[in-house]
Amino acid sequence: MSSKRSAKQRRRSAQLGALPLTSMIDVVFLLLIFFLVTANFSKQEHKLPATLQTDGGGVRSSDLQPQILQIRLQSAKPVFVMGEVVVDNLDALEAFLKGLPKEPGVAIRSEPDVPISAIAVALQAARNAGFQKRSYVPSDAQ
Amino acid sequence: MINVDLTSMIDVVFQLIIFFMFTSQFGELRRTEIDLPKQPGDESAARQEPAMIIDLTNEGLYLVESASTSLAEIERLAAAGVANQLSEDPFDVLIRPDRNAGAIHLDRLLMRLSNTGVQRWKLATVDEGGGS
Repeated sequence: MSSKRSAKQRRRSAQLGALPLTSMIDVVFLLLIFFLVTANFSKQEHKLPATLQTDGGGVRSSDLQPQILQIRLQSAKPVFVMGEVVVDNLDALEAFLKGLPKEPGVAIRSEPDVPISAIAVALQAARNAGFQKRSYVPSDAQ
Repeated sequence: MINVDLTSMIDVVFQLIIFFMFTSQFGELRRTEIDLPKQPGDESAARQEPAMIIDLTNEGLYLVESASTSLAEIERLAAAGVANQLSEDPFDVLIRPDRNAGAIHLDRLLMRLSNTGVQRWKLATVDEGGGS
């Protein structure tokens, strides 16, 4: 019985020919590698552009003095100071900056111990408020 | 007429294509893991590739191409970049800082860059919900 079946199978495979799996596996592996390579596993990074301005001059596109936004530490927490106004979060800073004239631009400077995340908050708020001219003034701390 | 078996050659060609695709992307993938500030950033700035990328760690180390680099060396590299910049494509720097690093480290770096004539820089951020 079994010998009869195997003879039948042999006849059938002779009719169809051996299925070439090697090429298919090759292609499948190639596709797998292609998608592995092209997939982007890292987190998408964003950018906050700013110009560089120093106390001695630097970038100046107009004679108007930019409005200076100071970042200080108050009880180990960064606060944003502009004149008399003191705010401590992005939304409040953005709302305040929206009310200012945009043409002079905004210059940001910070105390040495302030974490860089606070500078990012200030740059983001200025950008969201519609300031095209955003500059950062590094303090000359060697 | 000789019957040439193209299958093996195609296999090899595909492998070579994938190899070169993979190695060409390696430069982009080779970025130090840094806990970047969490901000959405400026979408319009995302397209242009920076001429120089500087990583700033929480300890105040400056990394260029994942290698610790002194401020003097960064200044030298930036000066060379500024000297070779094209007028339509000014030299700009992307700084990837640790969000908890002190501003003093950024200030030191930017002072050096301003000495070389760098006028534009970008701060790398990530959206809320994860580091890079």
